[in-house]
Amino acid sequence: MFKRSTLLLLAIVMLVAMLPLSMTVSAQNPDCEGDVTLTYWHHWGGNRIPLQEHQVAAFEDAHPGICVDNVFLPWDNRLQNLLAAIAAGNPPDVTMFGRQDLPFFAATESIIPLDDYMAADGVDPAIFHPSEFAGTQFNGKTWLLPLPGGGAYNIVWYNTDHFAEAGIESFPQTWDEMLEAAETLRLGDGEFLERMGLNAQSTSGAGAFLTWLNANGGDWITPDLRTITINNEAAAQALEFMQAMAEINYGIEEVNAFWEMAGEFDQGPLIQGLVSMEINGSWTLFQVEAHAENLNYDVAPIPHGPNGSADRRGSAHGGWGYMVPKNAAHPDEAWKLVKWLTTEVEGDGACWFIQQQQRPSPLVECNGYEKDGVVHPRAESLLGVAALDYLVPVSPVQPEATQIINRMVEDVLFGDSSIEDALASAEAEIQALLNAFWEEYG
Amino acid sequence: MATAFGSQFSALRGRRRERWSDLSPMRKREAKFGLLFIAPWIVGVLLFALFPFVASFVLSFTKYNIVAPPEWVGAAHYEHIFTDDPLFLKSLKNTAVYVGGSVAIRIILGFALALLLNTKVRLLGLWRTLFYVPSVVPIVALSIVWLYVLNARAGLLNWFLGFFGISRIRWFADPDFAMLAFLIMSTTWVGVTMVIFLAGLQGIPEEYYDAAKIDGANMAQRLWRVTIPLMTPTIYLNVLINIIGAFQVFTQVFIMTGGAPRDATRTYVLHLFDHAFQYLPPQMGYSSALAWILFMIIFAFTAVIVASSQRWVFYQGGEE
Repeated sequence: MFKRSTLLLLAIVMLVAMLPLSMTVSAQNPDCEGDVTLTYWHHWGGNRIPLQEHQVAAFEDAHPGICVDNVFLPWDNRLQNLLAAIAAGNPPDVTMFGRQDLPFFAATESIIPLDDYMAADGVDPAIFHPSEFAGTQFNGKTWLLPLPGGGAYNIVWYNTDHFAEAGIESFPQTWDEMLEAAETLRLGDGEFLERMGLNAQSTSGAGAFLTWLNANGGDWITPDLRTITINNEAAAQALEFMQAMAEINYGIEEVNAFWEMAGEFDQGPLIQGLVSMEINGSWTLFQVEAHAENLNYDVAPIPHGPNGSADRRGSAHGGWGYMVPKNAAHPDEAWKLVKWLTTEVEGDGACWFIQQQQRPSPLVECNGYEKDGVVHPRAESLLGVAALDYLVPVSPVQPEATQIINRMVEDVLFGDSSIEDALASAEAEIQALLNAFWEEYG
Repeated sequence: MATAFGSQFSALRGRRRERWSDLSPMRKREAKFGLLFIAPWIVGVLLFALFPFVASFVLSFTKYNIVAPPEWVGAAHYEHIFTDDPLFLKSLKNTAVYVGGSVAIRIILGFALALLLNTKVRLLGLWRTLFYVPSVVPIVALSIVWLYVLNARAGLLNWFLGFFGISRIRWFADPDFAMLAFLIMSTTWVGVTMVIFLAGLQGIPEEYYDAAKIDGANMAQRLWRVTIPLMTPTIYLNVLINIIGAFQVFTQVFIMTGGAPRDATRTYVLHLFDHAFQYLPPQMGYSSALAWILFMIIFAFTAVIVASSQRWVFYQGGEE
């Protein structure tokens, strides 16, 4: 009775089971011959994968005898993958690494300090912009080298056609002007959005609340990374601004529901025309040029709040780098790859990789907007916006702190808590985590 | 199928245990080969199930950040979970809602589908396959598909509900609807339950129905008096499998909402995962304690169901 249908079912099950199930993509040059094969993990997806492959092939050409297994891993699982590999004693030789994750790995010496390698090869910290190199330090040692830049994460990209249609002649400079512009640009029927002026919940780098707090002149943590300072007027104003922007967009639920349609790359909200203003990083230039060459747009710094100032707009927070985990199989060769990925200016290494994406480089000698000898026409305005970046420090308990801050923002935007209570509660919660960290690792 | 399992299990329980010295040379050889063949499974269970099981219990009494040796903290994690972790109760409550909803959906829908597909309809094999195939699609791919289906603005489900005058529902953005969205998604795996029910239905002898018809029983009476009582072993099996699975719901939540909005979809295993792999320093000891509490909850549920089964599970031939 079952026979025919069972056979059909089995055939379909087998076909489906044979579909590639993994998100991991590993690429190794079959022509490379060498005694050493480095395992290299990175998170450069989308149209950056071919650039990575080219960069790694150039490294292999410049370093005979060393081959690289080039592994792309999703960003979301980076800690899980890395911790599991370190615990199993089988970490990659080189991995891309979020600077926000540095304090724990450095405090536990799970990664190798690079100072001796740098001294031996004459790599001078002065080749990097000081704010970029600062993010590589913990307890006076250098644990990674930076790339790409940790700044230019919060640039306002805006659709100039939308602005012209709405009759807005100049880009807003203050939060009040921003709210007014966002309301004018928003399209909808009073309940459901058709287009958003701005989604204040969507920023990059430090997260939305810290981005607005910074643009309002507030610091969330003391420079020694030991005290949280978010229970104050600047922070309350930042939350009030986010609340007002959500109300303009018919409430937080509609904002989140509308934003579900936005993705990355060619599905980005600016490219799809879902928003008139989008706060995003310098990499947006590469995406817009690849997927929306007819989009008329411009860039501007984030407007500042009532407590803020015109010269403190965006935030430099975290960023990326490359490091060598403890117990890496080939640390000496791994250092050579780190050096290629972060300091190489002549060959198709660090500088070339950034220039192909047209984004700011942490290297002083490398103009990221100069591609194949031609400087991008928007270079000046983008670098002008980046010049207004202010360093927002990363705490040693950043992932959990970010979750607490996000919960605090939701408490306010969903109307479950007053701004004062939400700030006081979040500050106390993060402070407790911070105290525990310094007690154990300080 | 489940009825057959029941009979065999009862037979095994009644068999006297034989000593090794009493076995004939042939039985000894068979036993050795038997052990040899199941050896990979035994090694696998010892290495990948029993060892982590015991290790996680020990770790639950330690502070362990993966990269440094564990440090003994006694019952501190358990104390913190029960007294100072608001997300513990929240995630447990969310999980309980998911368990109750998804198990009910899968049992009722799976049973209904099995009844339908146990009849002589055209293209029977095709229908059975269509309902089963979603169960074997990788969950990541399924999650992406469901994100489109449940999209608030352009989703298929809202479009369909629009025909009934139902206004757009913000499935994953509204805390009141987010868990319901996952319950709707849980219908994806109804095929597994359906196949087990189908096997059970085919194990019911046709003679019972013939006798019931002769006695004048209508379709509803045959379902209530013959089918359901004889299907109780299969229902029992499906309830157990689905409860154990539902308590561990994780992947789709991790991919689709990450627990948002307002932690309305933060399930227990997601909470556990965050402490182990998302936070720095990693809190493996705390996660292990959370895992053991979950294990005890699942164990308690299973024990209650197993204990109560003597009252509501009936095997053919009068065996318990």
